[in-house]
Amino acid sequence: MLRLHGIMGRADDKVYARQLHALEHRGGIELLFVPPADAGRKRFRLTTDRGTDCAVSLDRDEELIDGALLHLDAERAIIARFGEQQVLRLKARDDASALKLGWHAGNLHWRVRFEGDCLVVLLDAPIETYRARILPLLDAGEVVERVHV
Amino acid sequence: MSRLALTHADAPMTAARVGIGGPVGSGKTALVEQLIPALQARGIDIAVITNDLVTAEDAERVRRSGLIDPERVSAVEAGACPHTVIREDPTLNIEAADELERRFPGVELILLESGGDNLASTFSRDLTDFWMFVIDVAGGDDIPRKRGPGVIRADLLVINKVDLAPHVGVDLARMQREATEVRGGRPVLLTNCRRGEGVDAIVDLLEREVLFRT
Repeated sequence: MLRLHGIMGRADDKVYARQLHALEHRGGIELLFVPPADAGRKRFRLTTDRGTDCAVSLDRDEELIDGALLHLDAERAIIARFGEQQVLRLKARDDASALKLGWHAGNLHWRVRFEGDCLVVLLDAPIETYRARILPLLDAGEVVERVHV
Repeated sequence: MSRLALTHADAPMTAARVGIGGPVGSGKTALVEQLIPALQARGIDIAVITNDLVTAEDAERVRRSGLIDPERVSAVEAGACPHTVIREDPTLNIEAADELERRFPGVELILLESGGDNLASTFSRDLTDFWMFVIDVAGGDDIPRKRGPGVIRADLLVINKVDLAPHVGVDLARMQREATEVRGGRPVLLTNCRRGEGVDAIVDLLEREVLFRT
């Protein structure tokens, strides 16, 4: 077990560029893939793509970010990578439909963010389970799915 | 045998925060009462936060249990649906945990018991590092099949009161198998919290996943 505490910096910080570049040539970069739903954790146990068992903790006021440098020594660097967050992007037909969609999203405790006139749902489960909850709105055309552009 | 390699891990850590949620009467407080001595027996410095609707009933029960210094037990009154203070706005619980860490600097693990809720109850990652969802066989062996977010997303699903299975017509093996299936193979543990059975397996998991002892 490799015990790691805290974030050293970002993998794209200039201060680390030379060392990380050298390690990359020697195959010394290890990636720790963190599921998007777990990105808010302050402690977790995961294995890197090279098989290193990592026990990671962060201070309560630290936020794990994609590309966080968690470990760096002469032999290797360990960098956190988030899997791509799956989303359902929804647009309501009119104000009345938007009220209904907002009510459902709140009632269902969905994690959402707003992008202009779209409601973006951050998915923690298969997309079909989300569509099923608002099927009448989708079937009636009151809400349509938008593809990210 | 695993090799422990410390890097910038020498910095002092805050306590691990472990949530316990689940329906009313599933045995959350009973589990807390079993976990306290089991954790203490392994030398783990602990504190407890209980959540109730409008009382401190569970906190008083744990304080009076004699299992732990009453000063190490804090009560949070949700005043609303229990999940509002463990997920939507966990500020009250975060403050309670921060306060326990200030008062007991060596504390390594804080148990946060939610008020009894429904199968949709989940914990915010801002509040807990690991959370378990407690159901019981007497609640019905179809609970896992209903795929509630609590059952699906918890880091650990605990099926409690396993001793009652033959008395309530529950096929425990099938219930456990279905629970494991809907959770994609993530941990499911069986307990009888009245007798402490199965509790050591939970402590083993906590030692590995959030205390990093093994």
